[in-house]
Amino acid sequence: MSVYVYGIARSDHPALPEKAPGVGRPPREVRIVREGDLAAIVSDCPEDLRPKRRDLLAHQQVLTEVGAKGPVLPLRFGSLSDGEEAVRGVLAEHAAHYIRQLEELDGRSEYNVKAVHREDEVLRLVLSQDTEARSLAERNRAAGGGSHEDKLRLGELVANAVREREAEDARLIEETLAPLAQRYVPGPEGSGWLANLSFLLDREGAEEFTAAVEELGRANPHLDIRATGPLPPYSFVGRPDEAGRTAQAAGSPAG
Amino acid sequence: MTTAVPAQRSTGGGGGSSGLYDVLELILDRGLVIDAFVRVSLVGIEILKIDVRVVVASVDTYLRFAEACNRLDLESGPRKSPGLPEVLENATESGAGSKTKGALAGAAESISDAFRQGRSDEEETEPRRRRASARRKEETE
Repeated sequence: MSVYVYGIARSDHPALPEKAPGVGRPPREVRIVREGDLAAIVSDCPEDLRPKRRDLLAHQQVLTEVGAKGPVLPLRFGSLSDGEEAVRGVLAEHAAHYIRQLEELDGRSEYNVKAVHREDEVLRLVLSQDTEARSLAERNRAAGGGSHEDKLRLGELVANAVREREAEDARLIEETLAPLAQRYVPGPEGSGWLANLSFLLDREGAEEFTAAVEELGRANPHLDIRATGPLPPYSFVGRPDEAGRTAQAAGSPAG
Repeated sequence: MTTAVPAQRSTGGGGGSSGLYDVLELILDRGLVIDAFVRVSLVGIEILKIDVRVVVASVDTYLRFAEACNRLDLESGPRKSPGLPEVLENATESGAGSKTKGALAGAAESISDAFRQGRSDEEETEPRRRRASARRKEETE
């Protein structure tokens, strides 16, 4: 029977969540598969497992519980193994790599920061700063909205200004928060936020970090910015062959 | 509605569905991948992605912005080209919290609402799309 794997921790982790509710309905019981210094957190896998809300939450919950008491390498949702023997094989094969990652992540969590513009606020900001756009907007308004061409001209002008503002704000967010984190990487691409970044923080640094995010929101009312964390370090784990790349990417995310 | 929105401090843990929404992409797209393991099929699942919320160059966008500018001026009264602080004050005074938020924030809300209001455990991660801006990551059934 397939085994669902949640994550990997050290076998001497102080609070491995044995018997915690896992994925499936009814929830399959979480158990621990040990091999040397490592332990995999697993459960049976329901036949028809799919990413349903409760399953995603169960995955997240199990990892959060482990992560609260010690480092854990979170697996991507839906990782299945043929059986416990195969799980032990994986732990043994890459033990050094996993142990190194666990050491690096000890006492650290991921915080994800997302931001978008509040549309009306950013439009007000743009109009207040761009004389041309403002006078065009006023002319259009006086003309009851303006002709199609007038609208397009104004819209293009404003859209370009807003886009510049997006890049500017993305930079501001990155430059403000990066110095407060151990590492940071861009979030999954193409998700449409003007900023979507994941930061790796020491436990002691979390308060300062969330305060900085709040301050960014206060100082920039046109920004809808939020931080979510502490999270299992989803964005800071890598395959053995990715270790070097991950380390290099740290601190200098592309795009 | 005031000008600042405090950073949310989701617990990440018990999560709640709105917390889940914020980290969904991380749970599904990030996390350790082990080559020897297989991954459960995501076919049939529409993974929400709020897409194209950043401004793209298109006629639709231009027209939308032009209309929004027009509407904005009407909302802030007859005053011409007010300075920024004044404008923000107006936004606050008008008290149109949800209105002044704009379409962008609205999209995020409607999706997390969909999560929160999901009626049953059986429901899959398929929040109804109110804007045509969510993108399919995987094929729908």
